[in-house]
Amino acid sequence: MYNTSANRLSSAFHALSDPTRRAILARLVSGEATVSELMEPFELSQPTISKHLKVLESAGLIEGGRDAQRRPRRLAPLAMKDIADWIEPFRQQWESRFKNLDAHLANIKKREK
Amino acid sequence: MPAQSPARAKTDLEIDRRTHTIRLTRVFDASRAQIFEAWTQPVQVTCWWDAAGGPLTACEIDLRPGGAFKFVTKSHPEMPFAGTYREIAPPDRLVFEALGATGRVVLRDVVGKTHMTVEIECRSAEHLDQYLKSGVDVGTSQTLDNLVTYARRRLVAVS
Repeated sequence: MYNTSANRLSSAFHALSDPTRRAILARLVSGEATVSELMEPFELSQPTISKHLKVLESAGLIEGGRDAQRRPRRLAPLAMKDIADWIEPFRQQWESRFKNLDAHLANIKKREK
Repeated sequence: MPAQSPARAKTDLEIDRRTHTIRLTRVFDASRAQIFEAWTQPVQVTCWWDAAGGPLTACEIDLRPGGAFKFVTKSHPEMPFAGTYREIAPPDRLVFEALGATGRVVLRDVVGKTHMTVEIECRSAEHLDQYLKSGVDVGTSQTLDNLVTYARRRLVAVS
């Protein structure tokens, strides 16, 4: 299914690049759900949901049964955690930088008053 | 309703694998002109660039297309953030090249505040992976190794 682990990583990021798929993952954080349970909050058709689930599944981010109609999907916890851990230091670096910028801009405002 | 970053975080991070682009967004309580100046005046950049919090030990800015810049932090003097300006369009757009990637700062007015987007466009998927790792302290590459190991384990399980 995956030629290399780099491909595997790449497909995980591709899966995460779509806002609907990120929203589906966010929904699955609070517990497993079937296709029909996912259709309602997202107001999407069954084929559309199934298509997104297929992308998430082949990226290894969620797990589920073969019967696309009934078997509930759940998060593959290890995959999600590893991806989050990997990006987190980078995000934190920019978060600190922007926090500094925020404080700096507040100082400037104060001085101008 | 896209998935959100942790609630305490004010900076949103998005990774677009298709265009090899990292996108950071945040809202600031300041005007576009103030933020543009904070990005382009050495005396100001010095105050906020280092994520560790201290002032920069050197900050050189030649603000014109083709002009060079160099930000040096106290903690990593061997890894300056250096590059060349491409487009200088105050108060809403600054484009530069650094570490082999194209950086774009875009500022938009949002009712008295400013929405800032910083895009880092890499050359390839590999370059993006490398960029995410660069300049970030130890621990990160270990996590990447774990992720690769995990992918291999799955590979075995699938085949």
